[in-house]
Amino acid sequence: MIEVVGLDAQVGAFRLREVTFTVPRGQYGVVIGPAGSGKTTLLETIAGIVETQAGQVKLDGRDVTGEAPERRRLGIVYQHGYLFPHLSVAENVAYGAADAAFAAEIAERVGARPLYDRPVRALSGGERQVVALARAFAVRPSVLLLDEPFSALDPRSRTRLRRVVRDVHREMGTTVLQVTHDFTEAGLLGDVAVLLDQGRVLQSGPPGGVFREPASAYIAEFLGAENVFAGTVRALGDDPAALGAGPDAARGHRALEFRSGPLTIYTVGDAADGPTHAVIRAEEIVLSRDAAATSARNQFVGSIEEIAVLGALTRVTVDVGGASLVSALTTRSAEELALERGARVCASFKAMAVHLC
Amino acid sequence: MTHAGAGEDRTLPRSLAAHRTASIVAGLCGSIFLLFLVAPIARLVAGGGTSGVSALFTDAELRGALWLTAVTATLAMAAGALGGTPLAYLLARRSFRGKAVVAAVLDLPLLIPHPVAGIALLLILGRESAVGRVLLHAGIQVAGSPVGIVCAMVFVSAPLYISAAREAFARVDPRYESVARTLGDPAWRAFRRVTLPLSMRGLIAALVVMWARAVSEFGAIVILTYNPKVASVLTFDRFTGFGLTEALPVAAVLSILALIPLVALRALRPDHGAGMDV
Repeated sequence: MIEVVGLDAQVGAFRLREVTFTVPRGQYGVVIGPAGSGKTTLLETIAGIVETQAGQVKLDGRDVTGEAPERRRLGIVYQHGYLFPHLSVAENVAYGAADAAFAAEIAERVGARPLYDRPVRALSGGERQVVALARAFAVRPSVLLLDEPFSALDPRSRTRLRRVVRDVHREMGTTVLQVTHDFTEAGLLGDVAVLLDQGRVLQSGPPGGVFREPASAYIAEFLGAENVFAGTVRALGDDPAALGAGPDAARGHRALEFRSGPLTIYTVGDAADGPTHAVIRAEEIVLSRDAAATSARNQFVGSIEEIAVLGALTRVTVDVGGASLVSALTTRSAEELALERGARVCASFKAMAVHLC
Repeated sequence: MTHAGAGEDRTLPRSLAAHRTASIVAGLCGSIFLLFLVAPIARLVAGGGTSGVSALFTDAELRGALWLTAVTATLAMAAGALGGTPLAYLLARRSFRGKAVVAAVLDLPLLIPHPVAGIALLLILGRESAVGRVLLHAGIQVAGSPVGIVCAMVFVSAPLYISAAREAFARVDPRYESVARTLGDPAWRAFRRVTLPLSMRGLIAALVVMWARAVSEFGAIVILTYNPKVASVLTFDRFTGFGLTEALPVAAVLSILALIPLVALRALRPDHGAGMDV
């Protein structure tokens, strides 16, 4: 378990401030944040490499604040691997391992074993990351800190290694905290997401919750939400169930109307009347040729402004009276709908798909 | 467009010609400067090289002076490594109050005239000084002994070692050490297993520079310990006592021997294949 409470640390002019979050024992935490937000500094402070100025770091319930890195029973893998260039690959993997057989086994599992005969200097960036992972796992750490460990790998190797890391982490019961820029990776691996910006935690919790219900418009935009609107909300007298929210989802919530320019969006929630932001994830917006084809409470007819095919997904921007709604649908669906620029379509989404923040 | 193109056509050869002229002037200046540096040594070796080498077999005083120089320079180098390495590491890795002052103080011996350094050492280590008296009481004579030679050599050459060793440590990314520590190494073991091997080339090169500087020292040594004579003092002694002809073979031998650390430094320079990529 990693418990960070009110952590302050400073490196040069940069400062971590009052960082607080918990990754339960054996779970996988991901730290997301823009460049320069303090992600690496956070890992190094947890590792004891950067001195803690205030607050506490607890690993598996033990307060390790002020303890030397070698006493914390953790491993760290940097983006660039930092393999010792004066040692062989095998010596790197076995560097801190008490059990040579286990080190060899873990090297085999992560794919470092075939690299044993090659000099460290001859390894590619991705291969260095593989060896660095094996080296870190070989000491059986109770906590593993990963600083973008898959960034230099090709997509196929990345997928394979992600799976291996996830499997080994589960088998060994290691608590992992990984820095990533990749939201897909965060969603795939993370049990807990920590969103860091300018040295502060903006939001933390299960990745699904953080992505679906960002705490602010800034977070929503940082997390890649395409539809973020500033506007005003007011309560309606309607029963939330009438907005298509369903009785369970709407329990304790009010029916709300959100206005932003030409858009009037219906939603449910407990937001007070007044200015706020509405966030609708692109994958929640459904496109159809016929407005009658959907029962969603929010329906907008507009013309297609832009179509961007991104492999299996296609992003379609629809102009609705001057406001842009972005929908993400499968490329196959887009082809079936025969979408083209300028075509009239109906963009619809449920009241529950709207998050106010 | 046509006009601009014609302009470019006119300016391109002109800039090329200017570049060529600048290269020729720079090359000429460099050659003259190189000649200025090499010519005296070449003349010295040409004039006294043969007699100097034969004097190695016939001149016992020269052999003794060379041996004394090599031994004292090696001892000075060892003292510099022992005392200077931790200091260089601290300067490279740690931030502390007064760091800039410490760094400036370390450079001071490089800036003051070496006879002045000799006088300063005499004041603190001479027979009349408190430290000198204590050392004499303990049976250690500094002034007028090989100990004095070593002290003078350390004083003038250790700052060079510390400066180069500091750079050698600074070139090793501290994250290598951090990784080693998370893998279970205490600070000292991480230093021994990771930082030291990765900075070894630079440290050895720094030691060679220190040794060479110690061998060539004259000003501080001549004040602190005229006798027994190291090679540089012997050269001076022969020159002032017997003239240029007698000094020439000794000076030539010293110049030839200076090639040893020069070759060693070249060998230690990281080549393309084996350089430490740190």
